[in-house]
Amino acid sequence: MERTIELTVNGTDHQVTVEPRTLLIHALRDEMGYTGPNVGCESSVCGACTVHVDGEAVKACTELAVRAEGSEVTTIEALGDEDDMHPLQESFQEEHGLQCGYCTPGMVMTAAVFLEEEPDPDRAEIREALEGNLCRCTGYQNIVNAVESAAAEMAGAVEPATDGGTAVEEGGD
Amino acid sequence: MEFSGTVSIDGTTTEEVWLALSDPVMIKQALPGCQFLVECEDEDPDFDALAASAPEEDPPTLPEASAEDIAERAFEEGGHYAALMEISVGSVSPSFETVVTIEEREFPRMHAAGEGSASSSSFEMSSGMELAESEDGVDVEWWAEADVFGRVAQMGQRVINPVANRVVGRFFDQVEKQLQDVSTDSESSGGLRSRVSSLF
Amino acid sequence: MATDEREGGSDRIETVEADDVDAADILGSAIERQEDPSLLTGEAEYTDDIQLPEMTHMAMLRSQYAHARLADIDTSEAEEMEGVVAVFTAEDLDVSGALPVGWDLDSLRNVDNPIMVEDRIRYQGDVLALVVAEERYQAHDALDAVDVEYERLEAVTDPSDALAEDAPVIHEEEGTNEAFDWDIGDADDTEAALEAADNVVELDVTNQLLIPNAIEPRAVVADYDPSDDLLDVQMTTQNPHVHRLLMAGVIDHPEHRMRVRAPDVGGGFGSKIHHYADEALVSWAAKQVERPVKWQATRTESYLTDAQGRGHETHGEIAVDDDGTIRGLYVDTKANLGAYLSTFSPSIPTYLYGTLLSGQYEIDNIYCEVTGAYTNVVPVDAYRGAGRPEASFIIERLVNRAADAVDMDPAEIRKKNFLDPDDFPYETPVAMEYDSGDYHKTLERAMEAVGYDEFRERQEQAREEGRYLGIGFSCYIEACGIAPSELVGELGAGAGLWESGLVRFTPSGTVRAMSGSSGHGQGHDTTFSQILANELGVDYDDIEVVEGDTDAIPQGMGTYGSRSAAVGGSALVESARKVVEKARKIAAHQLEADPEDVEFEAGEFQVAGAPDRSTSIQDVSLEAYLAHDIPDDMEPGLEATTFYDPSNFVFPFGTHVAVVEVDPDTGEVAFEDYVAVDDVGNQINPKIVEGQIHGGIAQGVGQALFEGAEYDDNGQLVTGSMQDYAVPKSFHVPEMETESTVTPSPENPLGVKGVGEAGTIAAPQAIVNAVVDALEPLGVDHIEMPLTNERVWRAAGGGDD
Repeated sequence: MERTIELTVNGTDHQVTVEPRTLLIHALRDEMGYTGPNVGCESSVCGACTVHVDGEAVKACTELAVRAEGSEVTTIEALGDEDDMHPLQESFQEEHGLQCGYCTPGMVMTAAVFLEEEPDPDRAEIREALEGNLCRCTGYQNIVNAVESAAAEMAGAVEPATDGGTAVEEGGD
Repeated sequence: MEFSGTVSIDGTTTEEVWLALSDPVMIKQALPGCQFLVECEDEDPDFDALAASAPEEDPPTLPEASAEDIAERAFEEGGHYAALMEISVGSVSPSFETVVTIEEREFPRMHAAGEGSASSSSFEMSSGMELAESEDGVDVEWWAEADVFGRVAQMGQRVINPVANRVVGRFFDQVEKQLQDVSTDSESSGGLRSRVSSLF
Repeated sequence: MATDEREGGSDRIETVEADDVDAADILGSAIERQEDPSLLTGEAEYTDDIQLPEMTHMAMLRSQYAHARLADIDTSEAEEMEGVVAVFTAEDLDVSGALPVGWDLDSLRNVDNPIMVEDRIRYQGDVLALVVAEERYQAHDALDAVDVEYERLEAVTDPSDALAEDAPVIHEEEGTNEAFDWDIGDADDTEAALEAADNVVELDVTNQLLIPNAIEPRAVVADYDPSDDLLDVQMTTQNPHVHRLLMAGVIDHPEHRMRVRAPDVGGGFGSKIHHYADEALVSWAAKQVERPVKWQATRTESYLTDAQGRGHETHGEIAVDDDGTIRGLYVDTKANLGAYLSTFSPSIPTYLYGTLLSGQYEIDNIYCEVTGAYTNVVPVDAYRGAGRPEASFIIERLVNRAADAVDMDPAEIRKKNFLDPDDFPYETPVAMEYDSGDYHKTLERAMEAVGYDEFRERQEQAREEGRYLGIGFSCYIEACGIAPSELVGELGAGAGLWESGLVRFTPSGTVRAMSGSSGHGQGHDTTFSQILANELGVDYDDIEVVEGDTDAIPQGMGTYGSRSAAVGGSALVESARKVVEKARKIAAHQLEADPEDVEFEAGEFQVAGAPDRSTSIQDVSLEAYLAHDIPDDMEPGLEATTFYDPSNFVFPFGTHVAVVEVDPDTGEVAFEDYVAVDDVGNQINPKIVEGQIHGGIAQGVGQALFEGAEYDDNGQLVTGSMQDYAVPKSFHVPEMETESTVTPSPENPLGVKGVGEAGTIAAPQAIVNAVVDALEPLGVDHIEMPLTNERVWRAAGGGDD
């Protein structure tokens, strides 16, 4: 029943032997060692497993590995590293857009695809875009802030465009 | 969980519907995912042995079968019946080894209770039906009370209700279709309906 | 120091990089978290990321039924399956295998809590068999091949049903489902106060069962080395030392040959405090197969086993005079404990609940009775807030009802009954001594932020237009850092509630600090480094904080109950001060001065009045380790350990206000505003404080509007996946406006109070009060949580003929 599939992960070609039922997330984590994406719900709800497959955000916990044959998969590991983070990673750090970090790889990967499609979103649009990624720690507000300021950063703006009471202004003291 | 409903089957009689719903072979064919349905001696049959001995091909049902054949194999009050039911629920397709006991069977009313168990889920159910003549044919009033346990139960009513509705819906669609065949056949041959009636 | 009041801070708090902060300002700065780069790049290592050579995978067979007899179990087919290394059932266990409970009550009926079931199944999470296999999927496949014969028994899920005469008894040897009967306060005085008051208002509420929902499900990797009998366990834990101690007893393994570590942990909210059968079984199995064993709970498995929270059925009565003075409070609660006692479960609906019933008010007479009930649901224990949200909910709902009864504004009745700032320390009738507070200030600040007077005008107008706006207040109090150990021992705790902190200079002048706290997302490395940078005058980047390893850290009690800053942080402060004192003596010796004349500031020792006679703490550290020239009576080295035992709880407080619009035709609740004014004492890192408040509120929003663990009559959990249990999504949580006041706690050297649970404690009743206020014209006076669209619609008259 097992078969060998070929796919590219973060620019590296892989050959991996999987069962027809093997989930992409398990192939990535257990077979290929990409442990950045996490498993949180096994049912496409929490989004901790989100990776990019051929440029689309995909929940790897409900995607069969065999369906990714021939695909280009990108995980959080390739978005940026500690010394050279992606603007989203930087803004998540600046805005405290994470606490335990477990949902974060999926959250960031979803946001990355979203900002490609919608480079100048408002806060409601950001919240809609992140509906498939659950965070239990932050209450989402600082995640929305992070995505908002990353969008501004990526657009080359100095101050993020904001609407109504959420502007980045001078600190409270 | 409780379910109930009324299914109307036009152009038929209570006697025909009763006979059809008394036929284990027809019930087996109408139940989606039913691998076999056979009478058994007690409430704890050996399913492996039953599966091995279950006939490969079903004997004919109405209208091909004779009313007498069906009366012969019809459900009996107090009888136990074993069925293997494969039902897809969400992402899993457990095979339930199911035993049903006919607790009451008196025209036009039938009541059965049973249990089914699969490797990680099980159910207990009690169900009944009563037939009534309507203007255009027959109304089948049915009800079922089911308790679901294990993996399937954890999926909640969000998943279980549609599955139950699907099973019940397909079952009565199939019954209705077969009864339409009976009606059509009766009209053309003129014989079956009277033979059915004579059994009551 | 963060004593400067960052008041009016409703704008987004901007972070700064640690490098850009002057050492003197490090404490109280909203610096970026040092934890984040590894978490953001996938470099973090959670338990399931761990791969060990020869590692096996384990899966556990749990029960189809919530209540049953295990008639027979046959594992022979599973044992034959491909990849299966071993299958075990209870009869294979050669250890005591009973989970202990860490809190006793006089009336407690303690019951046996076996790690695998031999005979009687009491909830679905009970373990019937476990499979160890080469691969993850193989272990799960083999579970389906285990043949189990059950005799199903009637189940009971609600505490009041369980306490009824004819209920099925869950622990037969006890003859009853009553787990305990506990009370606090004065029954007679309270009864008299209720009789004497002008009005008594009653309310029955259900505080529903909640599932904690850390996004990382629990997991364990255990590795056993038979050559020296060492058991190395890495697991999702909020308190590795507590797990080591308890597990040592459960699996009969010497505590000193056991190491428990917490890798990166993906949230806990209480669910990773408790000692579950699972980690004991994984560890035991690793000893049996003599290979590393990994177990990762599935989400459904988490839902069936993670200790749930709340589960109260409460009758409350509040006595109020016509002028709005609250005279007394009576509360009778039936608390759901689930099938067994979890690690700290007896304390949650008792000492962490009844003692908080005075809220922010001066109430002379309070009496609270709690009956604990065994049921066939998942054991109930601490979940974020743990007893305090339940207390805050019933008080704040009753106060609103009292305001209605005497036709008073809900803010006014609160102000009328608040304790005043000069009342502190204040002893309540329910055994607490509040440390400090200014309740008027947080309420007034919140009213100002929300524009209260203007809101009431808008509400009036909206009602004329057929729109339903509502406002709800929640003036909450929380008790954190449960202490001191001697007192909690008297109350029944099976452990002390101190914390350890070790501060160690290296010879080169950098610092490694060990804390017995065990963070799992709270940013301890950052905040503790800030604390130590401030105390020691060492660069923030030259400090490394180590948590979550029983081999590295002297001892620890862990992270829960919002205790880490108040207790764990204070332990580090005390150790840092001990280190400085030792260093001062070495510096004085070096500088040929009297230690009393040597001042310490910003990492420099200096002889008073002689600026040229100085040395740095880094140089002193080198001297301490060289030991060539230190005072005669002194040992070499520069480190100190403190077991800090606080003198009292600390009591954060605040006011949360929800403003909602309710559509009675759909039952939909939309937030118009959410304002939180919290006083958590001094703030070490205001951005981290803000994040804790945000996250806490989100969980409170979840309880108020969406969440609930639901069981059918047979005890089957029907919200068994994330598709059925509604964890709030991004668009469910409102934009929150957070402000703070700062009333330092006098109880600890940092003046901190604790912030982890505040939002969760505060939010539910703010929202319920707001929805009820909105629907007041329709005669609605209460709706049970969660306020789903259907419940709100029905309450508003939908579905009425």
